[in-house]
Amino acid sequence: MAEAALPSGIGQPGLGERTVDALLSGRGIWPAVPAIFVLMIVAIIPFMILLSLGFSDIVVARGAIVSQTLSLSHLSNALSDPLYWTTFQRSLSLALSTTALCFVFGYPVAYLFLIGGRWTKRLILVLTIAPLLTSGIVRTYAWLVILGGRGVVNSTLMNIGLIDEPLRIMNTHWAVLIGMVQIHLPVMILPLIAVMSRHDSRLVEASENLGASRLGTLRHVILPLSVPGIGTGAALVFTLSYTTFVVPQLLGGGNYLNAATMIYEQVVFSLEWSKGSVTSLILMVTCLVVLVTIALLTNHFTRWTKGREG
Amino acid sequence: MLRKSSLADTLGIGLILAVALLSLVLLVAPSLIVVIISFDTRAYVSFPPEGFTLRWYAEVFEQGELVEAMLNSLQVGVTVTFLCVVLGVPTALACARGRFRGTTALSVFVLVPHMVPGIVLGVAVLFAGALVGVSPSIWLQSISITVFILAVMVRTVQSRLLRLDPALEEAAANLRASPFQSLRTVTFPLLMPAILAGAVFTFVEGFDNLSVAIFTHGFRDRPLPVELLALVQYTSSPLVAAVSGVQIVLAVVALIAVSLSIGLDNVNE
Repeated sequence: MAEAALPSGIGQPGLGERTVDALLSGRGIWPAVPAIFVLMIVAIIPFMILLSLGFSDIVVARGAIVSQTLSLSHLSNALSDPLYWTTFQRSLSLALSTTALCFVFGYPVAYLFLIGGRWTKRLILVLTIAPLLTSGIVRTYAWLVILGGRGVVNSTLMNIGLIDEPLRIMNTHWAVLIGMVQIHLPVMILPLIAVMSRHDSRLVEASENLGASRLGTLRHVILPLSVPGIGTGAALVFTLSYTTFVVPQLLGGGNYLNAATMIYEQVVFSLEWSKGSVTSLILMVTCLVVLVTIALLTNHFTRWTKGREG
Repeated sequence: MLRKSSLADTLGIGLILAVALLSLVLLVAPSLIVVIISFDTRAYVSFPPEGFTLRWYAEVFEQGELVEAMLNSLQVGVTVTFLCVVLGVPTALACARGRFRGTTALSVFVLVPHMVPGIVLGVAVLFAGALVGVSPSIWLQSISITVFILAVMVRTVQSRLLRLDPALEEAAANLRASPFQSLRTVTFPLLMPAILAGAVFTFVEGFDNLSVAIFTHGFRDRPLPVELLALVQYTSSPLVAAVSGVQIVLAVVALIAVSLSIGLDNVNE
């Protein structure tokens, strides 16, 4: 039937027909060609352009580039600018502490998922996935409501008479950190749950039959087995919290500068293309370095499951 | 056996479970508080609320800019979903079923734009577009978000493909179905749940994405996240809470769609 609809296939069996078959059955690379084309045009080439902009002097006139010469000055300017160092240091420590805290709050949820019954598991899944489907701005706004001057925390504390004046929590480093952790928590929990649900339950049983306490089983069996999930979760949380500007912008007030808000200001407000490119590249490279480190650590601590899956 | 019920063990496990419960409350409480605030009668954000009104919800739909932003984001969401299905499903087929060298390389290649921070992709597209004279617009925004999120669609469909019983397709081939027939009548229906789940996630990304959108959106057609960001920064009325309320309702609908299409347990795959 299909052959009848393909004139080129009739009369010349062989290449034409085989090509069409390969195209339809997905045996060849052809079905992926449109996607590859689009990715080249909209991602790969723009990345290369970004790279070239970061390493050249450009003269922009009326939105178009008139001249471009190779130069390392933007990179060296950035590296000798103390503002860059403090900004990236702040972003990095914020993202790393967010990642660590997400693990601290997320891992117990995954443990509860492992030992919980069917409805506990369902409840955890719903509570974890639902926030991912709402926008980050909405979830950040919630923290404005909670931590604000007349927000939930302050009015509760004032009502029970613990404080007379509202505490200033908003626009501080703490507000940003709290928001970051809560917003990225689901991203840490999901991979942990995924790895937990693949656990071989006999290992836990064996450990408990051998007389290990629940805490001992957790430490010596469950935790080592979930290293791949921890790695994935940490990589995701780190990337997102290192490169977000919603939370710092809204909870940190106007002058809380992290790498992402810095890029935004350079590109959108002051239209410094080369500066923006260099900052983007530094962000990308530092992010990559941390991700590779996380991957190496994950690999190093992955036990037992390694041989089987490899 | 003795050690099993030791005090330290019970305390330790108890502490862990307490943190788990705290985290679960932490996941959902902020959204609940926003919904409560959205019905408050006062014109500023405060807690606890002092009355009940639907005024802010009415106002959301009276504000031309907000409605327009919602429609823009809806359009982006639909475009992104459509493009991800059209580009992503065939790519997943090639990755999972391909018998050419470099299927792994192809899978990795598709992941690249997703691994790069959205903000860097946004800046790169903005600059590249400016070089060739393509200015930011709702279409540039749509295609950029498509490139950013395509990997999710490919991965969802690909992992489903890898778990399909190859015997089904072999049976179709033995019954003399052409590759196209087999694809249409056997593989495709089996892939439908994965495609639907991927569609939900790509739609949500198209609708909600800020990191890519903030650099690529059209000057005149602002998407909802950009509009909301400005609104949150410059107003203090519960209006934003009402917009959030609308979004939370949409999220619940999306959640139900996901659980009906693939079941929540499979989201991770």
